[in-house]
Amino acid sequence: MKKLLSLVLAAMMVMSLAACGGDKPASTPAGTEGTKETLKIGGIGPLTGDYANYGISVKQGVEQAVKEINAAGGIAGQQLELSFQDSQGDPESAVNAYGKLLDWGMKLSLGCVFSGETATVVAAAKDDDILLLTPSGSSDKILESNDKAFRVCFNDSYQGVVAADFIKDHKLADKVAVLYQSDYDYSVGLYEAFKGECDKLGIAIAEVQTFTEGTKTDFTTQINKLLAADVKMIFIPIYAEPASTFLTQAKGKFGDDVYFFGADGLDGILEKVAQDVSIANNVLMLTPFAADSTEANVQAFVKAYQEAYKSTPDQFAADGYDAVYALKAAMEKAGSSSGAAMAKAMTEIEVAGVTGTMKWTADGNTQKKAMAIIYKDGTGSLFGQ
Amino acid sequence: MIEFIKTLISGLGLGSIYALIALGYTMVYGIAKMLNFAHGDVIMVGAYAGIVAFTSAGLPPVFTVFLSVLACTLLGITIEHFAYKPLRGASSLSVLITAIGMSYLLQNLALMIFGSQQKAYPQYIKLGQVSIGPVTVDGITLLTLGVTACIMVGMSFFINRTKLGKAMRAVAEDRGAAELMGISVDRTIALTFAIGSALAAVASMCYGLTYVYIKPTTGAMPGIKAFTAAVFGGIGSLPGAMLGGIALGVIEQMAKTYISPLWADAIVFAVLVLVLVVRPTGLLGKEIQEKV
Repeated sequence: MKKLLSLVLAAMMVMSLAACGGDKPASTPAGTEGTKETLKIGGIGPLTGDYANYGISVKQGVEQAVKEINAAGGIAGQQLELSFQDSQGDPESAVNAYGKLLDWGMKLSLGCVFSGETATVVAAAKDDDILLLTPSGSSDKILESNDKAFRVCFNDSYQGVVAADFIKDHKLADKVAVLYQSDYDYSVGLYEAFKGECDKLGIAIAEVQTFTEGTKTDFTTQINKLLAADVKMIFIPIYAEPASTFLTQAKGKFGDDVYFFGADGLDGILEKVAQDVSIANNVLMLTPFAADSTEANVQAFVKAYQEAYKSTPDQFAADGYDAVYALKAAMEKAGSSSGAAMAKAMTEIEVAGVTGTMKWTADGNTQKKAMAIIYKDGTGSLFGQ
Repeated sequence: MIEFIKTLISGLGLGSIYALIALGYTMVYGIAKMLNFAHGDVIMVGAYAGIVAFTSAGLPPVFTVFLSVLACTLLGITIEHFAYKPLRGASSLSVLITAIGMSYLLQNLALMIFGSQQKAYPQYIKLGQVSIGPVTVDGITLLTLGVTACIMVGMSFFINRTKLGKAMRAVAEDRGAAELMGISVDRTIALTFAIGSALAAVASMCYGLTYVYIKPTTGAMPGIKAFTAAVFGGIGSLPGAMLGGIALGVIEQMAKTYISPLWADAIVFAVLVLVLVVRPTGLLGKEIQEKV
């Protein structure tokens, strides 16, 4: 009986192998049919779940760039084909998605949207000959384990420094308070860099308040402390969701001349407080991208994006858009999609994107000009214009 | 001093919400001898019912509250009837696991229907800020305190002075004897769930008006805190649940203000452990003598 069973099982295995073998030759000609094989480009990010807004923005920005490049003839005559995988922001799923993309035949990788997932994928891709260019993974240390990893956005410590410089340059305040999330690397990293730069510039930090994932629903005590600090500028390097709760509870308690200053994590805040957009009044957001900028390339991008998605692109969409163009520039310089060659090319190219003009250092970081958007009654405009 | 009073008042507000939820836990435990871990999620359902009634259906505030209470009451009775009643004779462990399963079922249903993005609870009662001398507090906090105080008075009247209340106490005391006296145990337990869930709906209103944003997991943390409050005050005891809830809220806000938000939860639970070491049955719990 046992023998019979094992025979049957063996027969089934042989058949399934044969089935696999039969599949392959059938699919290859389909790809090579026509002119040239497509150049496969893969992205990973949260498309569902709590942080879906960030992933969807990046994906739409990427799609827009792919569409434009394909219409203009592709990269070196090859048309681009995009696959964007949903990770829900979870590093484990992101690594699985990365493997799936490699099996699919990905030649160019956009890494992941979030820092946490980018860190694991960057480490996992160490021995693969592929370049990873994350549009928005901003945490400082995530690119260290792999010298073929780069990013389009600011890194956290640079953002913290730029935020302090911005306050100084625009003479916004010489005394500030801070509210940050003490169990998120992003928030802690920004705060520490901000604090370091403030000490250097002589900006006093009058009050520091924190919260955690478990206590992000009730900001009563923090608001009381921040009110008592009596400052005109509160630095909030936190994500849009807790920020919406904080600002809702703070509404009407702070004076009209008190500003809340945050970084890229605040992007999408208006959708979070859609029931009453005046909640986001006096919110300043540090960004390399402003949709109402007068630059011609930005205007063209915003117009095309609005036509395609019926919404105004945020900086995540802009980061995604620039990432694809940066990959294009690097591949044209390198002459192949080999990771090592592309990594070398990355340090040599200069890309004038919608988030500013970018040059990269070998550690994967880029430095570009920062602006701030200020929100008033549901619209964001460039601060100081 | 002003900071202390402000913290105290916000602690009382938060504690009132905990107390309202804890009442549901403690009543169900006292009468059905089970931990209804799905109770926290009933608040979440109540809050979503409020959002649907006011924002989507455009009902006036009074009907919104009424509909929310009705939805929770029906939900409570339904859960009891289909999930817990068939397990009445089963071991308490099976009932506990069923309750945990019910909690996840409700959360995932809400996730399917409303999605994972937060939704804003309609602010149909706008009270702004109230200044009492140098202290400014949210009007909503005072409303929560008032509502909770009324409910507490009403509940103690109901339990101590009415026939149904007497029946509930009798079932809590000795289920078999109560049945022999002609009290319908099933109906009393269903009534307990109905009242507990209605109180959860009131808590959801206070929660929504104070903290605004609702998600499918909104009920989880307040549920656990309220359960802690019920144990803290002595599970099975109504005044204990109220005291426990208020104490927990005040300790939490004090810890956040004077120590650190990072430590707030740890301190709350450390206090719970200390109280249970000194008084194993909680602050107002009855000493149970095991008869051998």
